[in-house]
Amino acid sequence: MTSANTNRAHSAEPSASAIRFEGVTKTFGDFEAVKELDLEIDKGEFFSLLGPSGCGKTTTLRMVAGFELPSTGRIFLDGEPVETVPPYKRNVNTVFQSYALFEHLNIADNVAFGLKRRKVAKDEIRTRVAEALELVEMTGREKSRPTELSGGQKQRVALARALVNRPAVLLLDEPLGALDLKLRKQMQVELKGIQREVGITFLYVTHDQEEALAMSDRIAVMEGGEIRQCGSPEEIYEQPTGPFVAGFIGVSNLLPGDDGSQISVRPEKIWLGTLENGMTAMEGTVVERVYVGTTTQVIVELESGVRLVALEQNTASARADDRWEIGERVKLGWHPEHARELR
Amino acid sequence: MRAFDRPRFLRVFVWIFFVFLFAPIVLVILFSFNSSRSLQQFDGFSLRWYETFFESESLRDSLIASIQIALITMVVATILGTMLAYGLVRARTRWSDTANVLMLIPLVTPEIVAGASALLLFTQVGLQLSLTTIVLAHITFSISYVTVVVRARLAALGRQVEDASMDLGATRWQTFRLVTLPALWPAIIAAGLLCFALSFDDFVLSFFTTGESPQPLPVRIWTQIRFGVRPTINAIGTFMLVISTLSIGLALLLPRLLGRRESGLKVLLGREGA
Repeated sequence: MTSANTNRAHSAEPSASAIRFEGVTKTFGDFEAVKELDLEIDKGEFFSLLGPSGCGKTTTLRMVAGFELPSTGRIFLDGEPVETVPPYKRNVNTVFQSYALFEHLNIADNVAFGLKRRKVAKDEIRTRVAEALELVEMTGREKSRPTELSGGQKQRVALARALVNRPAVLLLDEPLGALDLKLRKQMQVELKGIQREVGITFLYVTHDQEEALAMSDRIAVMEGGEIRQCGSPEEIYEQPTGPFVAGFIGVSNLLPGDDGSQISVRPEKIWLGTLENGMTAMEGTVVERVYVGTTTQVIVELESGVRLVALEQNTASARADDRWEIGERVKLGWHPEHARELR
Repeated sequence: MRAFDRPRFLRVFVWIFFVFLFAPIVLVILFSFNSSRSLQQFDGFSLRWYETFFESESLRDSLIASIQIALITMVVATILGTMLAYGLVRARTRWSDTANVLMLIPLVTPEIVAGASALLLFTQVGLQLSLTTIVLAHITFSISYVTVVVRARLAALGRQVEDASMDLGATRWQTFRLVTLPALWPAIIAAGLLCFALSFDDFVLSFFTTGESPQPLPVRIWTQIRFGVRPTINAIGTFMLVISTLSIGLALLLPRLLGRRESGLKVLLGREGA
């Protein structure tokens, strides 16, 4: 422990960030799961680590929980270094993808597990368990066994079991990954609401970009153990800094630019047919139309062979002359500020 | 209405199978209550062969010896086998796969080979053949059964449940005591009772490793049969059958009595849900 680090940690304490990574690397044998990670997460923030499987996001989360020790580098929780603190002594709690409920205990005892380990008084345990179950709308199921619950209900109990301990940081490892689409959408809204209500820092790991965009205050997009971009959902989506981020978040059109760079344009920014002055204009042939409900994807092939995706809104006020047929020649363009040059 | 999808002859097969399976056992039980010495003709109900069994001091000693051997084997093999399963599943090293295969060897080794090699080992080391040597041999082969059953349950339990426990403030030991062990109990109890049954009626290993006296019951029966078949054998056989059936029955029932939904059969076959 160097004195410089200790000093910084202590002097920064009043406004210390909830989690800080300093040059954290984690290797498994020859494999570098996380490389030289530097990251600060503010208190009360809903922060998401987003990336494909194997990008290092879960390893990062497990290092905060204490299940993995960093190979090099430092991790601070609330300004205090924790790299070597065992999981049971850290003021963080985790919600697992598989729920990981204790099947030999009923719901109330599952939720009370953490409080009992901390020797909280019996009366207080009872009130706090009731509060936590109310927060996740599971009141009345105290005596049920985990095996009697549905996936969504299990996840609510897992959430209550973690939140009841009032951790400084709640770690969520793809918590909605095992739920079906409809329930997932509903739980996204509820999770965000719960986070706002309790004001606890959430570190959320997911590979679902829509989920990350919908819930997060900030997102770090990871690939190959490194953060490719970190910013608000709008920044990540509207101003991707590289082809990986542009391609991973939403659908992105990539066009060859000058000297080896690439131009990225989002489908909803592309105009078809009548264009405005000052737009970058092109021409192509409609090769495919994909109806997806609120919108229709129109795929246009340019002279160069590059294919671009544009979106047609299927709203009541949508213009009839926007209905493009396959094989039709069409003009398309976008305002220059909507094109991003990626290197 | 004829059931085309359930041919009647299959049902007949099943009945024939059960008749062949149970007829000899039923005969043993029936003739253990025979009032005459005859092994062919049932001459009326009596308990005289049971009286002979329990009045014979050497048979009683053998019975007690067998129960002692089975109990010690059960306790020691269950503890060691559970520890081995825990190590194999949780402490994954590059040797885990090798250890997993090596552990299965006792299950496929011909028992006569295991018995002969145990005898060789004990005489070479200079161990006096006695109840201790039988227990040592029984424990050695029983550990594998325990490990197979407990390991399946541990693998089904998954690691995240133990992570969750430590995450909630439980130390490693508290986690094992409060989370892992309660989840493993059905498997541990089932495996223990299976060990008891296997050890109680084992003949081959016991035969090679037994001392002069007292000999375990199966070896004792074999010795007696060499001097002619007497109806007492039926009584001993029935008695052993009851003990074995009880322990296997308990292995199947206890997990349910402990309030689990899964049956002991599933636990023994390692087939319950995660």
